[in-house]
Amino acid sequence: MNVVYYFDELIVSEIKKKNEVALRELYKTHYPMIVNLVRSNNGTEEEAKDVYQEAVIAFYEKVQQQGFVLTCKIKTYLYAVCRRLWLKRLAEKKRYHGNIEETETFLGIEEEMSTIAENENKFASMRESMSGLGEPCRGIIEDFYIHDLSMEAISEKFGYTNADNAKNQKYKCLQRLKKLFFAKYKNEDLS
Amino acid sequence: MNAEQSLYDLLDNYFSGKLSVDEADAVEYKLKNEPDFRAKAEQHKTMRDAMKHYGNRMELKAVLDSAHLDIEETAPVTLPVANPVSGWKRYWPMTAVAASVALISIVGTLMMTRSLETKQTAIYKELRRNVDQIKHSQKMLMKDIAQSIDKGKPVPSKYAGTGFLISSNGYVATSYHVVKEADSVYIENEKFGRQKVSVVLSDPANDIAVLKLQNDSVTGINRILPFSIVKDEANLGEHVFTLGFPREDIVFGEGSISASTGYSQNPNAYQISVPVNPGNSGGPLFNESGDLVGIISGVQTETLGAAFAIKSSVVMDAITRASLDTLERPLVLPKYNTIKNSNRVQQIKRWKDYVFIVQVYKN
Repeated sequence: MNVVYYFDELIVSEIKKKNEVALRELYKTHYPMIVNLVRSNNGTEEEAKDVYQEAVIAFYEKVQQQGFVLTCKIKTYLYAVCRRLWLKRLAEKKRYHGNIEETETFLGIEEEMSTIAENENKFASMRESMSGLGEPCRGIIEDFYIHDLSMEAISEKFGYTNADNAKNQKYKCLQRLKKLFFAKYKNEDLS
Repeated sequence: MNAEQSLYDLLDNYFSGKLSVDEADAVEYKLKNEPDFRAKAEQHKTMRDAMKHYGNRMELKAVLDSAHLDIEETAPVTLPVANPVSGWKRYWPMTAVAASVALISIVGTLMMTRSLETKQTAIYKELRRNVDQIKHSQKMLMKDIAQSIDKGKPVPSKYAGTGFLISSNGYVATSYHVVKEADSVYIENEKFGRQKVSVVLSDPANDIAVLKLQNDSVTGINRILPFSIVKDEANLGEHVFTLGFPREDIVFGEGSISASTGYSQNPNAYQISVPVNPGNSGGPLFNESGDLVGIISGVQTETLGAAFAIKSSVVMDAITRASLDTLERPLVLPKYNTIKNSNRVQQIKRWKDYVFIVQVYKN
């Protein structure tokens, strides 16, 4: 194993096991680099944090995929992705029309960027739909679909007299969420 | 519970793997054979995935946020860029420097020239040489032997130009501006020595003058001239040469016809790319066979390599119009070129004898 990659390989294997400590370590290691990148290119630290988190999440999700192999240094991946994300934000804000110097990049960045954009779109659509849903709908849906709680537990938690009532409620909520979500997701998909 | 609702329950159970093998098989069979059902199932799966994705990301974000708090607690990130400066703020020092440089150069130029007007500098300049310029240095050189100079020493001429023999019986062509306002004119070269001449034709419009040797018995001058005069216009790009006296010694120059009109579209002159200097005025311009094509007249200042020469056809016209061929000494223009087949060096050797320095005296 290449010495340079030793730390990276270790991090990847730990992240594959969903080790939270490794993820935090990774996050802390490369953060200053990105803050520097964003701040020296018309950005604030808050914006740097957003961009960096998006990149780290993208990396995390990529590692979770079946058969993931590390093909470049994590640092390279994060830098290249953050650079592209930040350029995109600047273009949206029309604050900057230039180019940030590209010190290193990796093969397949274009596909990576489109995957990241797709995932971000999906996530943003769902987040907005969820926040538009309101309580108790949101709680029921999250508990059932995300936290995988049983209907019995949910009806107890939300104070329904029986599981069937809870199920009725969940069904209504799901229909509403579906409407909200597909309105957003489809629209943004097309644009 | 309606049918739609139970359908989603079924799908939820199917996707989360809570169905028995038989039930799952039934759902898969329906997925295969009922497009309507399949579309609904796919949509629901997208929803479920999106929700899972959302959930995972929210968890991740929480982890990262807490990691971020760690960073902020342990070491507040201090970076060389203190504040993200933008726009005017970022560039004002450079702008200030640029502005002051501009100001200094404008003020500096004004102080040196004391004038804002731009002068038209490209002008036509006649090439007669002002000998006063070299008179001074000549004096310096001669200081040591000043005593030995006798009183009869001629005063140095005021202007100098070039001229050349145009007829075997003692007529010399030159530029009008060389001899204008002259009191007396002398010509001189290696072969014939110093001779006094009188101006017999002045054509200020065409800048042509013809001088006549006062002493018509100069030895050897009555030979037939080796060149002829070109009556047609020379072609663009034709190679041309000149001999002249920009200094005390004869100087050869070469180039080509650059344009068939002269300064400000003067149709009587050529533009030539021959290097010429004050003193070249009145010199002959000849072509590759050694025939005369023009008389050097001037340059355009501020333009590199733009000199002008009066066309030989114009010279011919001026001479015939003035009907100089009086009975006692007719001006016979040369008709035969005898150096056509010689090489350049031979041609110049022959030509050299017929080119004179024209010295002009006036008070």
